[in-house]
Amino acid sequence: MKESRILPLVLVAPALVTVLALFVYPLGFSLVTAFVDKAGAVTLTNFARAFEFYANDILFTLVIIALSTALVGLLAVAIGGYLTLGENPAAVAALRWLYRWPLFIPFVVAAQCMRTFLAKNGLMNNSLVAMGLLDPQQTAGLLDWRGIVITFVWKQLPFVALLVAGAMASLDRTTIEAARNLGAGRPRILVEIVLPQVRQTLLVGLVLSFVTMMSVLSVPIMISGESPTMITVDMAFRINNYGDYGTANALGFISYALTGVAAWFYLKRGISGGGKP
Amino acid sequence: MIRRRQLLSGAAIAALACATGPALAQQKINLNVVTAGDQNMVDYIKDYLGPMFEKSNPNVTVRAVGTGPGDAGSQKITEKLSAQKANAAWDVDVAVVHQKMAGDMVREGLLAPYVKDVSTGKMSTSATAKNALGQNVEGFVIPMFQSQTAIAYNPALVSAPPKTFADLDAWAKANPKKFGYNGIKGGMSGVAFVVGWVYANSPTGEKLFTGPYDEASTAAWDPAFAKLKEFNKNVTVTPGNAGTLDMLNRGEISMGPVWVDMFYTWMADGKLPPTMKLALIGPGLPGQPMYYVVPAKAANIEAAKKFVELATSPQVQAEGIVKKFNWYPGIDAQHVKSQLDEKTWNKLFVDVTPQDLQTKAKPFPVKEYFDAILQGYEKKVLN
Repeated sequence: MKESRILPLVLVAPALVTVLALFVYPLGFSLVTAFVDKAGAVTLTNFARAFEFYANDILFTLVIIALSTALVGLLAVAIGGYLTLGENPAAVAALRWLYRWPLFIPFVVAAQCMRTFLAKNGLMNNSLVAMGLLDPQQTAGLLDWRGIVITFVWKQLPFVALLVAGAMASLDRTTIEAARNLGAGRPRILVEIVLPQVRQTLLVGLVLSFVTMMSVLSVPIMISGESPTMITVDMAFRINNYGDYGTANALGFISYALTGVAAWFYLKRGISGGGKP
Repeated sequence: MIRRRQLLSGAAIAALACATGPALAQQKINLNVVTAGDQNMVDYIKDYLGPMFEKSNPNVTVRAVGTGPGDAGSQKITEKLSAQKANAAWDVDVAVVHQKMAGDMVREGLLAPYVKDVSTGKMSTSATAKNALGQNVEGFVIPMFQSQTAIAYNPALVSAPPKTFADLDAWAKANPKKFGYNGIKGGMSGVAFVVGWVYANSPTGEKLFTGPYDEASTAAWDPAFAKLKEFNKNVTVTPGNAGTLDMLNRGEISMGPVWVDMFYTWMADGKLPPTMKLALIGPGLPGQPMYYVVPAKAANIEAAKKFVELATSPQVQAEGIVKKFNWYPGIDAQHVKSQLDEKTWNKLFVDVTPQDLQTKAKPFPVKEYFDAILQGYEKKVLN
């Protein structure tokens, strides 16, 4: 009897200790340091400095990630929709095989590839020029905010598409067939029949993507040197150049707040879905 | 049962070996060489210097440890030494550190004044061998190498390269988006350019590099930053040190600030056309050395001195530092010249002459001025 009560605790302990030591403690520590100055007194100067220097960057981060998330959602639905409703078996098979590839590429590698692909005289423009679609004088580099969005979408799309396509595949196909019998076109079936039924999965995928993109440093730093930039870059800069953990943590706090809103959606969905994540 | 006994006796032997360790160390020494900087620094010691030293000192095994790039890497070494301060012997025998941290280490008494005991010490007389960002370090450091920033340009597209920052400003206006640099958040070549800009356009002058810091003087930088903001409208912002070189290579920009060693290394690797050239523009651009230092209580201090002596000898400086890595030598160039073939010497000193280096190679500013420049850029140029 006694053993059965202790055993579960023992089994859970390593995981619990890991979470506490590697996640909860650093999180609490960074939250606290955001509110204290170098002498240890409670202060809001870190936040004042964060807004004074980086207000534009905070806004930029939010816009870039919101835009990327929206594009990911749109394209994921399009891919999932074609995999479910597509009528050309070869095209469906090809798409199914292709769309998952970026899932296996780390962000930093994706950024490195895009750096040479999207440049003014990079692979993409050179190919377009070679095909005669573009004049060498017309080429423009995409290594600015557009490059960041393209990389984020390219990298996160397969993840969301995988979730959405899975949810779509497990739908009761009779609803689709019924709509088709009544003469609905494929776009209409997708928007009015399929999408409402996979809405929750889509939302979960997008929330997770949003949070992931918030934390990426490699993509903005490698793709674009322009200003405004994303707050991860500012955090790294603050620490590496000034050793200023206070302001970096204040920026971190702001990004927690932004992802916190996303997490709130996620948890709300989870609870209404009966506790399933 | 037998197994367990064997295991126990094995452990006993191991314990015995540990206990007799110090006695054996008389014959066998592990020399810990800890270096800040990129992986190439670790490789340099592990693959090149270490084996060479072991060959002439068969009782020594060189162990190379890297602590990571930038000042953060040097910071780790300082922290490690501070933590061992109370111990009788420290486990770092030779360290390679950046300028900023070397000053702090001397101030905190973490370093041995070893230079007088090393025969190559007299060969290094540059300003950076004596002064590290305002802190006197004479006797405690020998530069391993000097790295320098300069403006790289494509002579096919730039017939008359600028000689000064004022020339460059005019050139960028006449050739919009053809000058590129990486701002201050994407690597040190951009930071160096901004430092050079402030040095060229503000009345603070040499005080930036020698101190003392005077906050009032930073108020006079506003026109320099306003001018830089205007200048930035005509430039391309590149993603990082490598980004500038990439864009030069692809012909997207015709000019940009680069690290000289990176420039030649990329050229040697075929990532940059051999026609590209360098110009060190006036009044100057910063560069920085990395220093060989020996901790005050290094466990193997005699071997450490011998190691640095080898590392700063004219042969090694010529072969390893200049030829292999395209850095400028840490010891004075005239000692190295005789060890080099004409071609290698010309490569490093033709575009940027020793004279240029003497007059236009500047250090980075003292810490407070440095921070003020970066903060000023963030506040007044980026916002």
